[in-house]
Amino acid sequence: MPDAAARRLRPLLLWTALAGLAAALSLGPILSGFSGGPVDQAFLLYSALPRSVVALLAGAALGLSGALLQQALDNPLAEPSTLGVFAGAQLALGLTAAFAPELGSLGREGAAFLGGAAAAALVLALGWRRKLDPVTVVLCGMVVAMVASSLTAALILARGDYLFALLIWGGGALTQEGWRPSVAIGVVLLLGALASAALARPLAVLVAGEASARSLGAPAPAIRIAALGVGVLLATTVAAEIGLIAFVGLAAPTLARLGGARGARQVLAAAPAIGAVLLWLADGLARQIGSGEAIPTGAATAVIGAPLLLWLLPRLRLADRPAAAKPSPRRNTARVLAVMAGVALAALAAGLMVGRDPSGWTLVSGAAFTELLPFRAPRTLAAASAGAMLAAAGVILQRLTGNPLAGPEVLGVGAGAGVGLAVVYLTGAGVSLSLQTAGSALGALAALVILLGVSGRTLGPERMLLAGAGISALCLAGLNAVIATGSLSAFALLAWMSGATDAVGPREAMAACAAAVALIAPLGLTLRWLETLQLGAVTARALGLRVRAASAALAGLASLLTAAAALIAGPLSFVGLVAPHLAHASGLTRAGPHLAGAVLVGAALTAIADLLARTLIAPYQLPLGLFASLLGGVYLMVLLRRR
Amino acid sequence: MSRRGLLIGAAAFGVTGAGAARALSPAPRVAAVDWAMLETTLALGVVPVAATELILFRKAAVEPPVPGQVADLGLRGSISYERLLAARPDLILISPWYEARRGALSRIAPVESYAIYGRTEPPYDASVRATARLGARLGRPDAAAQAIARAEEALDAARAALAHLRGRQVLVMNLGDSRHFRAFGADSLFGDMIGRLGLKPAWAAPTRFGAYPTVGVEALAAMPEAIVVNVGPTPPSALAGVRDSPLWRALPPIAEGRFVSLPPVNPYGALPAAQRFARLLTDSLSGVA
Repeated sequence: MPDAAARRLRPLLLWTALAGLAAALSLGPILSGFSGGPVDQAFLLYSALPRSVVALLAGAALGLSGALLQQALDNPLAEPSTLGVFAGAQLALGLTAAFAPELGSLGREGAAFLGGAAAAALVLALGWRRKLDPVTVVLCGMVVAMVASSLTAALILARGDYLFALLIWGGGALTQEGWRPSVAIGVVLLLGALASAALARPLAVLVAGEASARSLGAPAPAIRIAALGVGVLLATTVAAEIGLIAFVGLAAPTLARLGGARGARQVLAAAPAIGAVLLWLADGLARQIGSGEAIPTGAATAVIGAPLLLWLLPRLRLADRPAAAKPSPRRNTARVLAVMAGVALAALAAGLMVGRDPSGWTLVSGAAFTELLPFRAPRTLAAASAGAMLAAAGVILQRLTGNPLAGPEVLGVGAGAGVGLAVVYLTGAGVSLSLQTAGSALGALAALVILLGVSGRTLGPERMLLAGAGISALCLAGLNAVIATGSLSAFALLAWMSGATDAVGPREAMAACAAAVALIAPLGLTLRWLETLQLGAVTARALGLRVRAASAALAGLASLLTAAAALIAGPLSFVGLVAPHLAHASGLTRAGPHLAGAVLVGAALTAIADLLARTLIAPYQLPLGLFASLLGGVYLMVLLRRR
Repeated sequence: MSRRGLLIGAAAFGVTGAGAARALSPAPRVAAVDWAMLETTLALGVVPVAATELILFRKAAVEPPVPGQVADLGLRGSISYERLLAARPDLILISPWYEARRGALSRIAPVESYAIYGRTEPPYDASVRATARLGARLGRPDAAAQAIARAEEALDAARAALAHLRGRQVLVMNLGDSRHFRAFGADSLFGDMIGRLGLKPAWAAPTRFGAYPTVGVEALAAMPEAIVVNVGPTPPSALAGVRDSPLWRALPPIAEGRFVSLPPVNPYGALPAAQRFARLLTDSLSGVA
């Protein structure tokens, strides 16, 4: 069979060629500039060579980690970042840097492992009830990761003294000054390889079925937990030594399977090799493009890996399982809406009246209220408007995709807005509000267009989430790269990422309110579309809807809503997922009430989040996005436990 | 007459001209939103009613000590307007970095902006000018003249103490981890001070607001003659890391013992930070050849 042999050979040749390119990129400049002096020797021995070695080892470790996690969970979307492992490790390392900075490197590795393992355990505990169904696990991972990320952002903003170190680390820099990181990663990689060799057969049988796995003598959960533990250890060691390297863990096993690797054994063998080449190549490219440290390697891997994955996505065989919609309880629509309106009003009132001074909580009225109103009203109104807009965008996306877990944050639309905003900041032009809005809207729209483009016609939840995760990772890695430069725009972006309402003045608040009204009101005219589209494209077309035009118009509106809201609340809030879901679960199933309820719930959520941000550790104000994602995260966790 | 002499003269003139009549009037209630202005206010002997991020200031700027009665306004990037309102200031001091918040701040009290890092004037000169201007504004012209004279004296003393290193290249940096540092350029407060102390700032590449972010340590290979000065805050793990690093130890400035590490100094400070830097630098460089 010459055809089959050629088909097997082709990926091998391709990866060998890519490895050659990586070698040329990273070794070429070193050898050409080598003069033989003692400093050059030291540089070659302690910086250039270890950098290539650490890129290979870390890439292999991440590839193996991704392969183990994917096999253990039987989940093609599993990787350290989608399981929240990186975010957990980042938070743990941030806490270490802030509160125990004298801890040595072994202590840092230990902390990273504990943080990453805790995050993964939380994700799995949340997904347990649904039998670790891939989409649920990834969603839980995103919830945990976003909550951990906003906690980390708050920590970085609050702990200015070691800020610089945390920023570098977040960018994933491969610069080396010795062999210690290589040795540390190498040792763990060796352990991981041995463990994988032992686990390969049980894992392969596991995929075939739990019952036959038991015949191996080891219970299935033990095999899974062992594989997960090794995967987490590999990823967190790399994170502690180098920083955040996104996407290699997801891309390597996926590319291995696309290259023809079949079964656990082959994937576990091929993924580390592919991961090593990927990271080496990414590092070489990052060094070519950015002289010095302009582009952190962690950002480069996402820039290379995410588009690759998006391109591969339509070609990937995924079991698209349409989410079964649970019938919602029948309730009196008017009564439910009245309750929601009451809650929203109460939240707004609390935002204006509740405060905290050195002696404790205060409830102001009268003259004090009037005096504080100019400071509290703008931020409360802006926050509520942002929540309302995110909720409306969520209603559109959930109905458009027929996916109850869709939302502007999960699908990468919010992160896209951030990239647009970053471009505006970086061009350095007078950063006016309208320019920021325009940049943010274009970014959100681009993300949504890419998302709808790659998810193809079927729009199954799994494919869509994978595409969303890809776009999110790409955008957030780009933002990390900008933040890691430590420039002024970096601080503006960092503040934005965590959602800051303190700079909102009366003018911005009015603009936010106006945008909310102007963008949500036209949705009243699209209620029929929202009603019909949810039934699926075929049914909608049969009912006389011009599906393409309607989808495009709604997608445009959703991007504008997300962009305007993201300027205030940041990209990591979950309000756009939670508010529509909550409204739907409360019995508001028809498009009109669903939209109205979601808007009310969204406004209430962000108003409460802003109140907490302002008062909890006053006078030190926390970012709004932190509390929005905490509130939303807790809701989602409860929801996922119950389902 | 040197440029410095001119500046002092101008400052003193402004001070005596404007402030003599109300030299003993009580100072207004000042809120310092900007850290450089917090330093300057304290250097004038005036205790502000409120200032930002005092927890970090006491750790990362250290001097001058901030009395306990000063109300903390929270993060510099996220000022608590409510606490500021409660402090009832008569005057709020900001720098151009806080221009976006001027609207909200001016609802509470008149706002005055002092640019020290405006990129038009060396930071030390700008600090002298800001000190004189604030002294006049607060009715403390004599205190301002004294604060400027103290800084000049400290500068002269430091220059004399560093005479044995005159003309030498000095790289002022802040280690982030054991592989990266931030380099301070000639337009930073530290770079400006290095020049005034008779030394030469070693970082020639362009900077963004005084500091070039994220340089790999191998960049030190290109400046074999330089004296390397690390200014805190430095994570202890970074200092331990470089001590164990073979590359770091092979780099000429380090191999030849020309590396010193200073405690924290506010890189965006005013005269008190400049004095602190000069004093710490002189102490630690006295043994360096």
